[in-house]
Amino acid sequence: MRVPLSWLREYVDVELEPEALAERLTLLGMEVKSIERRGTEWRNVVVGELLSVDRHPRADRLSLTRVTTGGGEPLEIVCGATNIAAGDRVPVALPGAVLPGDRRIERTEKMGVTSNGMLCSGDELRLTADADGILILPADTPLGVALADLYGDVVLDVDVKPNRGDALSIVGLAREIAAVTGASIRFPDSTVTEAGQPTAERLRVEVADPALCPRFVGRWVEGVTVGPSPAAVQMRLIAAGMRPISNVVDASNYVMVELGKPIHTFDAAAVHDGRIDVRLARPGERLETLDHVDRELHPETLLIADPAGPLGLAGVMGGADSEVSAGTRDVIVESAIFDPISIRRTAFRYALRSEASLRFEKGQEHRLARIGADRTARLVAEWAGGTVAPGAVDTNPVEPERGRVAFRPARVNRLLGTALDSTDQAALLERVGIEIDGSADARGGSATEVQVRVAAGDRPLSVEVDASEVLVALVPTWRRDLEIEADIAEEVARIHGYELVPSTLPSTPMPSFRSSPLELRDGLRSALAGAGLTEIVTHALVAPASLEQVRWREPIDVADGETEAGGVPITVTNPLSADHSVLRQSLVASLLETVSSNARRGRSEAAVFEVGKGYGRVGEETREWWRLGLALWGPFDPPAWNRPSRDADLDDAKGVIGYLTGVLGLPAPAYTPVPTEPNLHPGRAAEVVARSTNGAIGLAGRVGEIHPELAEAFEIRGRVVVAELSVRGLSAGQLPVPRVAAPSRQPDAERDVAVVVYEDRPSGELEAAIRASAGPLLRDVRLFDVYRGAPLAAEERSLAFRLRFAAQDRTLTESEVEASMAAVMTSLAAAGGRIRS
Amino acid sequence: MDLAQLTRDLEDLRSEALAQAAAAPDTTAVEALEIELLGKKGRLTGVLRGIGGLPAEDRPRVGAIANAVREAIEAALRERGAALRGGELEARLRRERLDVTTPGRPLRRGSLHPSIEAMADIARIFAQFGFVVVESPEVEDDLKNFQMLNIPPDHPARDLWDTLYVDQPGNLLRTHTSPGQIRVMQSMAPPIRVLLPGRCYRYEAVDASHGFEFFQVEGLMVDEGTTLADLKGLLDQFAHAMFGAGRKTRFRPGYYPFTEPSVAFDVECLVCGGPGCPACGRTGWMTILGAGMVHPVVLQYGGLDPERYQGFAFGMGPERISMLKHGITDLRLFMDNDLRFLEQFR
Repeated sequence: MRVPLSWLREYVDVELEPEALAERLTLLGMEVKSIERRGTEWRNVVVGELLSVDRHPRADRLSLTRVTTGGGEPLEIVCGATNIAAGDRVPVALPGAVLPGDRRIERTEKMGVTSNGMLCSGDELRLTADADGILILPADTPLGVALADLYGDVVLDVDVKPNRGDALSIVGLAREIAAVTGASIRFPDSTVTEAGQPTAERLRVEVADPALCPRFVGRWVEGVTVGPSPAAVQMRLIAAGMRPISNVVDASNYVMVELGKPIHTFDAAAVHDGRIDVRLARPGERLETLDHVDRELHPETLLIADPAGPLGLAGVMGGADSEVSAGTRDVIVESAIFDPISIRRTAFRYALRSEASLRFEKGQEHRLARIGADRTARLVAEWAGGTVAPGAVDTNPVEPERGRVAFRPARVNRLLGTALDSTDQAALLERVGIEIDGSADARGGSATEVQVRVAAGDRPLSVEVDASEVLVALVPTWRRDLEIEADIAEEVARIHGYELVPSTLPSTPMPSFRSSPLELRDGLRSALAGAGLTEIVTHALVAPASLEQVRWREPIDVADGETEAGGVPITVTNPLSADHSVLRQSLVASLLETVSSNARRGRSEAAVFEVGKGYGRVGEETREWWRLGLALWGPFDPPAWNRPSRDADLDDAKGVIGYLTGVLGLPAPAYTPVPTEPNLHPGRAAEVVARSTNGAIGLAGRVGEIHPELAEAFEIRGRVVVAELSVRGLSAGQLPVPRVAAPSRQPDAERDVAVVVYEDRPSGELEAAIRASAGPLLRDVRLFDVYRGAPLAAEERSLAFRLRFAAQDRTLTESEVEASMAAVMTSLAAAGGRIRS
Repeated sequence: MDLAQLTRDLEDLRSEALAQAAAAPDTTAVEALEIELLGKKGRLTGVLRGIGGLPAEDRPRVGAIANAVREAIEAALRERGAALRGGELEARLRRERLDVTTPGRPLRRGSLHPSIEAMADIARIFAQFGFVVVESPEVEDDLKNFQMLNIPPDHPARDLWDTLYVDQPGNLLRTHTSPGQIRVMQSMAPPIRVLLPGRCYRYEAVDASHGFEFFQVEGLMVDEGTTLADLKGLLDQFAHAMFGAGRKTRFRPGYYPFTEPSVAFDVECLVCGGPGCPACGRTGWMTILGAGMVHPVVLQYGGLDPERYQGFAFGMGPERISMLKHGITDLRLFMDNDLRFLEQFR
């Protein structure tokens, strides 16, 4: 809310500098977001008096004025406005002046006459809304004074929280300031001079459902002259962020800003039979609202209507037909209280959230209906002339009592960690108008037990407490936010000052140990960063097209204990854009998009990974599964003069995966070809799985070069290798503690075997055959060479493996090793290989 | 063979050998000479073969001469060898000289994402105070995201969280990590000290300080005596750990429906250090988190008796923490994945 200090000062004396005031308000929970100094942009604009206004000698539409600013020679200034006359005091922008919008004023030649500056309109100064005429200042405005000294103002932008609708007003904030500074507060004058036929004889109001409109106060002002508001009023409204419209409408807006009470004014002539109904819309009813949109009304819409039909959307926006306009003679003032939820729903339904509806939504002080009606009627009469009809129509004149909130000062201290005795607490509360009723009666008469409300809303809870422990707070009618004991505790802390709450460290019992679900995830992340990959975080919300484009044909296997991917995609029903409207099910598209966007920025390589979730719905159940994705593109090693450049390939990705299984304490991963995944190169894609010794899957997934067509679709040149992996413990787990053995004192025995197979025979199968047949002495198998060429046939290749044998407790004998090797060779031969000697 | 002849032969061998040793061009030649002259089948041995023809009384004399010759040759070879080795090593070192001013063979350096790292930093600090990490789902229901947090349907405070809804009635993408509070209270018994980090979503147009996807870290502490003063003390510790021991902090009233009293927590502006600058809106302070004492309605939805239990909750944006710490001014960088940005976090 924008708060002009000049306006605030009408109701409370503020001696603090704006910055100091802003800090006090902020520390009170009324955060000041910014401080704007209006008028600092007017440089060299002073008050002048028109000595003469004559026709310009050579232009009919211009005037030639002589202006004095108090001293020196009068200035000749050419002006195009028609509302000026000799004797008027006006703002004069002297040569060298700068106006809002960085508009510079210089001495200029206008149709043969030198103009020594400019007379300013209110709009040019951003002071009033009037762009046509020169701003006429009051006749007693001192000459020669800088305009900034007269009309400059400081505007605080205060972030009033949703629970403090009462402070969404100048008076409300004045109250807060009074509470902290001890200054006293003055209320706006709402007395009216009444005459003529009483309101009750002119206006009848029927409320169909008092729950939706607990109070409606109507007043009648007769014989108004609609026109612009006084300049001072316009200045205020503009400073507060409102647009001046007319004296009558401005009166209602003025009261809204000042008291926080939204008011509506009707042209009385448009209200048939002087009868207003507050009711829900009927099927088929329509209304053209003030914004000139013809709307079909939803039956839950609360209306202000007359016998002929809807006049306005209650609390949200008036109707065009009953709008106060130039021809309006009589005005009906509506000052009502509506059900906050009904107003909020209507405002959302018609996308018409306004300053008025925002205030209604937060709830209104019952009393304000009457005060607001009177104040508005007074201002209408003052600014638009006319007579206020005696009395008002009031559907519910009984004003509620103050709310009573019982609280235990000891409990307040226990919550806050303070040591404020009852007297201190009572004194603090009294500063914001909360009186303490300490009488036995307040505590429940002769009873020794008092009900203390601990919780309200949809989970109310009260406890019975011995009356001696309890004080009862009498809450001012405007404070709708104080309902339970904790609310009083906050109020005590707020007025005492949060800065005075002690700063202590908890001394309550520690919870028992619990391991972190992030441990394994963080371990892998650090390992990957250490291996040279950059972590990325991409959007979980993606475009439906991307979801379809990079979908695995076969779901990847899931590691032990992890959530299986699957289910239908989860779609956002109110997305910000189609590009981010569905939750992803794979990380691959995001990885490719990252490679692509970096390529567009001129990168020639990327090695990235992301630990993220996929999302899906199976039946009614939502699934979220953690995956690790990585992508390698371009040279993995940084370019160097002393090393040939080489693009990352499938083997680099497999190297990373092998490194991860090492970190995870898993055996080396096994790969099997996956020729059928449409997004991957059919000859360069594999399923990877690493099982722990008990057979459980520790890591599973897919790794491969992306299909050239997919690379093209993402506008990536060159090969990209991607992997998506499910890892045991990625959702919540710890890195395993390795079991280790002392190195054997006995030397290992190494044997090599080369086996010739056809090209389409996967190496992994042969390695598996070796592992299966070599017996318990085998420690390790490593492919160390692949040979093609003479004397092998064209489609053949030779795979050379190095096997390492060892026993922990003894030196192996030659015959033991040879027996193992014999078994290995037999199994390789059985697998279709020819042993090369 | 007589003594005189043998003695002459030995002397000839000595002088010839010394000349050869002196002329040996390299250490390989010295080694070859040693074998040729002194080896088992060497020339010295060859000369001494004649000793058998000498009378027994002459033999010791020849033996003495032969030893002297051997020692002389050995010394000459050793000397020559040493001289040559020194030169050769020098030559090798000269030959092996590199241009040491060229750059080395660079290793690839990876990096960790600042959003996740900020969450890890936060978790590390609070771990010292006994807070453990718990995670909760991102697709939530209205009940836990709002209603159980004391935000009924149509409550004006809902304006604080513009929500993305999903195609299943009653479900939404969580707008904050706070629904995790309910899950934790329903599943863990006090004393509770948890951190809830994770991804959140809001219907919010993207600009330098807003995004529709971002991270949040929620903290929750509930037991029988935790106070607002404890919250203040703990947040002070956190600010000092995260931003430096001397940082001033400010504890002021805030508003959240799920806390009462509610708190906003500021640290002294990291850019200007107090006097006010554009970065802090000229206030000298930067708000880093919101907090408060858990509302009794929320405790009840968590299955706890608000008469017995009390505690606090706080929530902060790790990106905001990271921005303040690293001097980043645009939130969009965090999900832009420009490697030139990310690679700076080493």
